[in-house]
Amino acid sequence: MSATGTEYLNEVAASDYEWGFVTDVESDTVPKGLSEDVIRLISSKKSEPRWLLDWRLKAYAHFEKILAERGFPTWAHLDYPEVDFQNISYYSAPNSKPKYESLDEVDPKLLETFERLGIPVTEQKMLAGVAVDIVMDSVSVATTFKDELAKKGVIFCSFGEAVEKHPDLVRKYMGSVVPHTDNLYAALNSAVFTDGSFAYIPKGVRCPMELSTYFRINAAGTGQFERTLIIAEEDAYVSYLEGCTAPRRDENQLHAAVVEIVAHKGAEVKYSTVQNWYPGDAQGKGGVFNFVTKRGICEGDDSKISWTQLETGSAVTWKYPSVILKGDRSVGEFYSVAFTKGKQQADTGTKMIHLGQDTSSTIISKGISAGNSQNSYRGLVKINPKASGARNFSQCDSMLLGDRCGAHTFPYLEIGHPTAKVEHEATTSKVGEDQIFYCQQRGISEVDAIKLIVNGFCKEILSKLPMEFAVEAQKLLAIELEGSVG
Amino acid sequence: MSERQTIESRLLETWESRAGSAMNGRLHDGRELAMARFREAGIPAKSEAWKYTPIRRILERMPLLSLGAAAEGDTLSAADVAAFAIDGLDAFRVVLVNGRFRADLSDLAGLPAGVRILDLRNAASDPAVVEHLDGTGQEARDAFAELNSAFVQDGMVVVVDAGIVLERPVFIQHVLTAGSPALIQPRLLGVFGKDSQARIVEVCRTIGQDHVLTNAMSEFHTATGAVIDHVRVIDEHKDAVHINSLRSYQEGGSTFSTNVITVSAGVVRNQSYFLPDGENCETHLSGFYLGQNGAHIDNHTLVDHAKPECYSNELFKGILSNKAIGVFNGKVLVRQDAQKINAYQSNKSVILDDTARMYSKPELEIYADDVRCSHGATTGELDQEAMFYLQTRGIRKDDARLILLEAFAADVLDRIRLDAVRDHVDALIRRRLSQN
Repeated sequence: MSATGTEYLNEVAASDYEWGFVTDVESDTVPKGLSEDVIRLISSKKSEPRWLLDWRLKAYAHFEKILAERGFPTWAHLDYPEVDFQNISYYSAPNSKPKYESLDEVDPKLLETFERLGIPVTEQKMLAGVAVDIVMDSVSVATTFKDELAKKGVIFCSFGEAVEKHPDLVRKYMGSVVPHTDNLYAALNSAVFTDGSFAYIPKGVRCPMELSTYFRINAAGTGQFERTLIIAEEDAYVSYLEGCTAPRRDENQLHAAVVEIVAHKGAEVKYSTVQNWYPGDAQGKGGVFNFVTKRGICEGDDSKISWTQLETGSAVTWKYPSVILKGDRSVGEFYSVAFTKGKQQADTGTKMIHLGQDTSSTIISKGISAGNSQNSYRGLVKINPKASGARNFSQCDSMLLGDRCGAHTFPYLEIGHPTAKVEHEATTSKVGEDQIFYCQQRGISEVDAIKLIVNGFCKEILSKLPMEFAVEAQKLLAIELEGSVG
Repeated sequence: MSERQTIESRLLETWESRAGSAMNGRLHDGRELAMARFREAGIPAKSEAWKYTPIRRILERMPLLSLGAAAEGDTLSAADVAAFAIDGLDAFRVVLVNGRFRADLSDLAGLPAGVRILDLRNAASDPAVVEHLDGTGQEARDAFAELNSAFVQDGMVVVVDAGIVLERPVFIQHVLTAGSPALIQPRLLGVFGKDSQARIVEVCRTIGQDHVLTNAMSEFHTATGAVIDHVRVIDEHKDAVHINSLRSYQEGGSTFSTNVITVSAGVVRNQSYFLPDGENCETHLSGFYLGQNGAHIDNHTLVDHAKPECYSNELFKGILSNKAIGVFNGKVLVRQDAQKINAYQSNKSVILDDTARMYSKPELEIYADDVRCSHGATTGELDQEAMFYLQTRGIRKDDARLILLEAFAADVLDRIRLDAVRDHVDALIRRRLSQN
């Protein structure tokens, strides 16, 4: 490859993080450290009922047990220092006032933050047509379009509010898909989660707009532990979006979230993520550790859960959005673009657990590695012995932009039924010199050709994102990719 | 914990009790080191490499194994061994009974100059052994490789000097016959000089029905320009556990092919490590597994592309039925700066009923950008449309099924270049498929 191409790829690998500003708002942060007392404090600050505190304490006991017996999970293709759980503050709320009655009460600086991030918080941006719940550090700061959603019977609010107003739903479903015993970080989240989003779509309702949650870590020395719970009743439909950013910090910040989705008979949930936490600087200093447990269950027949993700941020990503296909003829999908550069490490993929009859799943994963980054796909397809007629197709393509990065594929295919049809294929390549040559012949510069080819490589996934998000995602990937090349 | 101590300490006791009868010189030093490493590593209880083959549980279920079995095979006659011959294979014949070379049953007449086939017991000071035994792939060693080295005593050494083209293949028959539960640890070392050519065929069979654990290890050192072809057929009874570690080291410009056919009824683990350590190497690895009636067959491979401009092609296929478990874990590793690698990996399985399982884990780990690597894995049942097509042409259902399964296996079996061996394996698989 000629000098310009190489230079361009170097710039891509070195390009900067645009969302690294800090918003100077007062925050109420509890001292660092993890103990039962801290959990009691979080619970009391949120005025939680007794059952929730008990649940947290149970999870905490389990967390301590896993940490003592099994330690940190080491099977992922990741290399990072062990997290010091005592050196994190587990609760940080912007402003000392923990709850807002309306947007007018929100600190203007906060609103400004979200303006800068391009998140339509204010009602004036109604045209954007997306209901947003915003979680800054640990608490939900704003939820828009509540009234309109309420008319349809859709509940969309912060997790804290759901605990208060819809305790029966929360008690019934919380931990039903990701139990507190699932893994170390899920246990930690269950013990210390501070807020998150809750969505409930009643029977037969097609949610009239996209629901969106925006997560931001702002305060220093804090971790973010949010929980999202989405329940779609029979024949309901919802499309849910999640975005995230964090300021630049020299230390590693921990983000350990749990997302649970329940889709009843005939329901469809589409969950899209644009993950753009601070990835650390070029030397690998700082950045967010993103250890997330996301899982959905197709509880009823003919239900569908679809995960779409664009992963561009975080120093370390450990994330496997999964679907349990319990209902007959249920469908699970996973579409992912993971872009790593600098010293980022990503170990991400999915799990498709086929339990019902005639279930099908599709996995399409595109990994792009640049700089000194490591990008791994790790996915499980499991066909239960009773899951007749299961169908899976997986495709994992990796592209390497440079000779100091790595691209890895670790699929696990566990097949227990003869009628299952399971296919997996993966390729690893770089931007082809023949492809660049073809473009150049047609008057396209080498740099533009690389952009074109990389965009084409991901297009299949990005087109799965909801329209409002696709624009943002394409912009994000373009910025990640383009560096300063115009 | 106590169980863990039991297995390892039992082996250690046996080892110590036999240390007196150990071989001299370098082999002995190697054994001390290997035993220390084995004790450190321990037999894996829970590890990613043994995720689908709970080897510790399997070994714990076995009765106490004795090492004294080698002598029990002394009564075996030529007629007993002849039953395992391959029709029409004109080859130098080596017979190992319970891992020990039996000159009286072997036929090495007419071995050309420049080719040595030696009993490891008497070859400790042979330059090939001194230079190459335990010489390669240190990073790929695990507890079982260490265990084999710790007890190393019986086995064969095949040396083909530079420039020699060995026309007749070397046919190695491993015969296991134990009157009591036994641990057998055969060893094979192949050293192939520059521009040499050779073909090695190994067949592993059991006589009798007692519990037996084979912990075999083969090492192949292939020099520049050499072309080596290796086939191993494993066909043992249901109480046999067979762990087979292969390590292949290639110099630049060499070609190494191996094909492992497993039709055993017991537990088999084939773990292979390939290091093409020079430019322009070609590595072909393939395997076929027929798992029936509770068999457990695990193929575990690692191709370590440390040098640029190499080609590797991996194909494993298998048919599973009636409570059989198949495992495939293949990894292609392309190290930094090992550019221009072409690596292909494919695993295809047919599951015939809902009691059989297949666990497939094809992995790519790539640290260089200018490479073409791909892998694919498929699992499913027989194509019903193809069945229907054959039936409409008047072919009975059972025959149609057999035709399709044989065609499925043919991709791998056709890679066996020796006609006599291929015919033998074809017939073996056909027989087993129609028995079912």
